[in-house]
Amino acid sequence: MSGYQRILFRFFFIYFVLQAVPFNFKYFERVPAGFGFRSLFYISRYMPGDSFATWGIIAIIALAGTIIWSLTERKNQSYEQLYYWLRVILRYRLAAGIIAYGLLKVFPQQMPFPSISQLNTHYGDFTAWKLFAISTGIVPSMESFLGLVETTAGLLLLSRRTAPIGAGIILTFTGNVFLSNLAYEGGEYVYSLYLISMAVFLIVYDLQRIISLISLQQPTAPDPVKPQYKKAWLRYAGISLKLLFIFFFVGVYGITANKTPYQYPLQAGLSGAAGIYNVDAFKYKGATLPYSLTDSIRWKDVVFENWATLSVSSNQTFAPDLSNTEEIYDNDADRNFESSGNAGRRFYTYVNDTAKHILYLQNKNNHYKDDRLLLHYERPDSNTIILYNDSLHVVLSKLNKKYPLIIGRRKPLKL
Amino acid sequence: MWKTYEKVAFRIAFIFFILISIPSSWSWYRNLFTTNWFHPGYRDVYDVARFQPDFININTESGRWGIASYASWGIALVIAIIGAIIWGLIDKKRSEYNLLYYWLRVIVRYRAGIGIIGFGFTKLFPVQMPYPSISNLVTDFGDFTAQKIYWLSIGIVPWYQVFAGIIEVTAGVLLFFRRTASIGAVLLAGALANITFVNFAYDGGVHVYSAYFVLLALFVLWYDVPSIYKLFVLQQYTVPVYHYPVFKRQWQRIARWTLKWGAFFVFVIVLFYLQWWNYRYDPYKQPVHKGLAGTRGLYNVTEFRLNNEVIPYSPKDSLRWSQVTFEKWSTITYQVNKAVQLDLSNGGGSPKEDIDRNFELAGVAGRRRFFYYEADTTNGTLTLRDKNRSALRKGSTDRPNTKKEKDPPLVWHYEQPAPGRIILYGLNDHKDSIYVILDKVDKRFTLSESTIEAGQY
Repeated sequence: MSGYQRILFRFFFIYFVLQAVPFNFKYFERVPAGFGFRSLFYISRYMPGDSFATWGIIAIIALAGTIIWSLTERKNQSYEQLYYWLRVILRYRLAAGIIAYGLLKVFPQQMPFPSISQLNTHYGDFTAWKLFAISTGIVPSMESFLGLVETTAGLLLLSRRTAPIGAGIILTFTGNVFLSNLAYEGGEYVYSLYLISMAVFLIVYDLQRIISLISLQQPTAPDPVKPQYKKAWLRYAGISLKLLFIFFFVGVYGITANKTPYQYPLQAGLSGAAGIYNVDAFKYKGATLPYSLTDSIRWKDVVFENWATLSVSSNQTFAPDLSNTEEIYDNDADRNFESSGNAGRRFYTYVNDTAKHILYLQNKNNHYKDDRLLLHYERPDSNTIILYNDSLHVVLSKLNKKYPLIIGRRKPLKL
Repeated sequence: MWKTYEKVAFRIAFIFFILISIPSSWSWYRNLFTTNWFHPGYRDVYDVARFQPDFININTESGRWGIASYASWGIALVIAIIGAIIWGLIDKKRSEYNLLYYWLRVIVRYRAGIGIIGFGFTKLFPVQMPYPSISNLVTDFGDFTAQKIYWLSIGIVPWYQVFAGIIEVTAGVLLFFRRTASIGAVLLAGALANITFVNFAYDGGVHVYSAYFVLLALFVLWYDVPSIYKLFVLQQYTVPVYHYPVFKRQWQRIARWTLKWGAFFVFVIVLFYLQWWNYRYDPYKQPVHKGLAGTRGLYNVTEFRLNNEVIPYSPKDSLRWSQVTFEKWSTITYQVNKAVQLDLSNGGGSPKEDIDRNFELAGVAGRRRFFYYEADTTNGTLTLRDKNRSALRKGSTDRPNTKKEKDPPLVWHYEQPAPGRIILYGLNDHKDSIYVILDKVDKRFTLSESTIEAGQY
């Protein structure tokens, strides 16, 4: 290494060690307890801070560290081995993050097929980020394919021989994720750029060889650096750590992620009710309100999901839930994938008292915590549901709705 | 000295890739020789760039959507194998095909490069996937076909579409030069493998053409894979071997230079200009004529009279309208609870007439009627024609047949008594008189508005 390369190395060494090694213990407060993919997912998504400001602080520390290091270093040391181990840290840090997201897609969990409510929301009433998620959700095979590419790239990082290929795939794949976050107004552009910065650092090491071989088309020597172990047991320790990594972040994570759907609530809804309903009659405080697309009180239609969620469409405007990061919630009440990014329907989670025939509704949107409803229900026949309380009386009839999205477009369709 | 299997494989590959890299349909040549090349339109250059082997079309579901749609590749392979057997018998003494391999790679590189640049420019100037019309924004997510969902999901992020276009055009340009061809091939294979998968998953219908580029890119890359594997995976000293022809004569050098930079000039520089013009003045999936001034928006149907009888709003009524839209171009839509034959095409095909530009209704359910109109502002009339002509089509996903006779138009009077209010009256397609009062809805969509506007409206 020449003089300026040595200075650059010192800087990047401190910078990336601070980025990748989990020194910020405060982060781990958000990691849920338990043994499984939920906690491993949050561990894999470690960042020293949530914004680019942290990157700046780390860069300043690295700059100061570089100055001290350069002044105090007596003789010119070879950084080859240190550089090698820095790349090892980054390879594993990157692999954990990439594989965690990859496996969520392989078993297509991250973006499930849209719910009945989502199918019955106007396109323009979604945020772009939600449209991105549900547009991918309609094609589980595509999602699995993307997950497979992502996971494979992560696995390629685990060997130094295939690491440049893995880093190259990640650069394009996660580069695309980063741009999608920017374009669709997603919330993970910092994290995706964090992963990309590591992939770039890894690729730079091999860049000269790649260009020399396929662009300049010249004879090219392979990477001369191999890890040196001073004692034999260190080698075995390394192999053990690698196996442990694979056991947790691939094995345990993959098996538990496969078994646990996490985006939609699990509690079953009113039995046999799932579907979209026309609001045939609507009485509010004794007055019958006719059909209207402009009235803010009258409901237009109601959806019962398979799980205990009910959604209402009306002409009432409200502040939508704009969450745009990937979260894995344990409790049904917190699972907002179905309701976030949607300004066309109001979503209620409910508890069903089957003995008294009462639904206790709670608005899922955090802006409307106080919006609670108690509704008696009657089901005179399998297609009709009557909901009522002191001020409301609503007659719902099930619509036999057909979706071109599900039927497909290979044969002529009249809908 | 090549091994026997290498020579056999090369002969097959040579005939196969030549067959699929050279246009085989008469219409391509007709287009090439009938175009006025001093004043080319974007359709002309685009059509030259876009072709694929077209030896056979199997008229079954699999022939359109599945494995049988690749039948032309199979035919090319069979011809290649037969040709390779004959070639092998004639050319027994040959020890290697190094130079022929070089030229084959040149042909495949240019075929792939030109094709993907043609494709890429329609994204770089984002017109391939337009931002959803107002009528699309008020359609339920489940009322679109899967294909439409994907096209719209790119249409809502025009800058992302520009980025995808830059990737495709860059891959194409890199393929023109031998020192950068492998990087171009990696980009092309990655991007188009994704697009192929998208087309299978969403029934997008372009799975053959996109896979065609993957095949060409992999062929270009094939040459470099052994040395990349050797250097990185095996970690051995690697000496790449490339054979390049030597041009001894002046005319050879001039011919090479002219062909190379000629292709670059036509498909990079000229097409850039033409596609820019297309984006600016004639975005081919959107009607080009402006809508009636100041009408753009979503309208509530405040009053609807049929033969002078007021019909109140009901989502179940099969005659009364609701949710009317006036687009920024000359299209009016309304919803009425009566089933319609869906237009299941991709909404492409770059038709010249506005009435045939059907992207806004292709793959859209939700019981909406779409009309192209011409406004006569002095007499206050609109002349309307139904844009949904899918009942007249042979196959549900065919391109629109622009030659077929159009239905007689509807002529309605319009009045604008106050800002935001439009009154329409006249005879509907059943010769019943209608009188409709529309009031503009102050609708703010949650979806962000487009940051790039194609066309002039």
